[in-house]
Amino acid sequence: MIRTERLTKYFGSTQALKSVSFEIQKGEIVGFLGRNGAGKTTLMRVLTSYLPASSGTVMIDGIDVLKHSLAVRQKIGYLPENPPLYPNMTVRDYIRFAAQLKDVPAKRICAQVDKVLNECYLRNVARKPISTLSKGYQQRVGIAQAIVNDPQILILDEPTNGLDPVQIQRIRELIKNLEEERTVIISTHILSEIEQIAQRVLIIKDGEIVADDTLNNLLCDDQGWRQSLEEVFLRLNQ
Amino acid sequence: MNKIWAITKKELASYFKSPVAYIILIITIAVFNMFFFIIIDSNQEATLRDVFKVMEFLFVFIVPLLTMKTFAEEKASGTMEFLMTTPTKNTEIVLGKYLGSLIFFTLIIALTSMYYFIIEFFGTPDRATALVGYLGVWLEGAMFIAIGLLISSLTRSQIVAAICSYTVLFLLYFSMSFIQYTQGAAEAVVRYVSTLSHAENFAVGLITTADLTYYLSSILFCLILTRISIENRLWR
Repeated sequence: MIRTERLTKYFGSTQALKSVSFEIQKGEIVGFLGRNGAGKTTLMRVLTSYLPASSGTVMIDGIDVLKHSLAVRQKIGYLPENPPLYPNMTVRDYIRFAAQLKDVPAKRICAQVDKVLNECYLRNVARKPISTLSKGYQQRVGIAQAIVNDPQILILDEPTNGLDPVQIQRIRELIKNLEEERTVIISTHILSEIEQIAQRVLIIKDGEIVADDTLNNLLCDDQGWRQSLEEVFLRLNQ
Repeated sequence: MNKIWAITKKELASYFKSPVAYIILIITIAVFNMFFFIIIDSNQEATLRDVFKVMEFLFVFIVPLLTMKTFAEEKASGTMEFLMTTPTKNTEIVLGKYLGSLIFFTLIIALTSMYYFIIEFFGTPDRATALVGYLGVWLEGAMFIAIGLLISSLTRSQIVAAICSYTVLFLLYFSMSFIQYTQGAAEAVVRYVSTLSHAENFAVGLITTADLTYYLSSILFCLILTRISIENRLWR
């Protein structure tokens, strides 16, 4: 579903991504782990075609992101690190606007907007301006816009950042409940979150992938002993 | 086309959901009314020629207020990332935003159409001349908006966008003042670049191909540059 080959990205003289290659199958839930500034957001932006890679290729469902970015963007739902919201708009207007831009057929827009408002538990705030909502609600509005066109691939950049434990639990449930057959990429530096959601983990350090394995394999050390994800993460980041 | 209209509607809604739109509308119309009264009172003529000149001058101040936020705000708040990761063409984004500002600007012009009806009530103005005058004012505003849009797409700060737009529009508007220091080819360039030399013809009811080309080509040029600017993320 997603395949990258020797992806590099330079910002001036700093190299944010160093020859990143991986492949993600359809239906997988993959966690990108890394410290702040490791390159998670840059990698996600390259995958969504928001930033062009300096070299290397990204293929989404067999389509080259650089050459056919519009076709790729139709398949991807993306929640950036800070939910991209228009504070003056009401929740419903904003989701409707997102649906229009994401090629949801005019006849289905109303039904689709209602559906995601329900899925994200936003029904009761649908008429409120986004600026009056709490951070948890705003984050859910961000997720709602990402899934409004039923994308095959969902890319969520730190979806639970800055939320309280109850809200985190709700967002986790939400992500788990999203229809199957959907490929999900989540970036975070909250380790317990990855343990609960992801099946596979990519650990990124200074723009390089230092570990790429299923969660179960990653948590077993060389002698077959069980270790915590925290231990693995700290060891790899030393 | 649907997407362009969706963005246009969003832009218009964002104007009217903040007090800025109402402040701009009220102050602009109040100032225009004042000048309209002063000009008609001192000229005692049933013509809007001088009113158009004042309007053109005042648009140098007003248009940057309309356009400064178009792209700069989206970039500062991160919504640009949302727009650019939806399957929307950059051309559609630029046109949607341009139309949003243009429609708001057209509303201001529409509100000043009462001046024509007032002078028609008291005198016999030339209808065609007045219409051409309005076309000239509208074209000039449309060009100013395209310039403002381009400048807003180059920065993530609304203040920087406003200050740079003011600088460019002032230079365009007052470039005729520098004509005495230029000669030959430079003089021709300054004369052609000046908005004043083109707007004057419209104000007296004259439509020339050169003036139309000047406005339409600069609008197109600025919109194309805006598209290139957001495509290459020149603000980074």
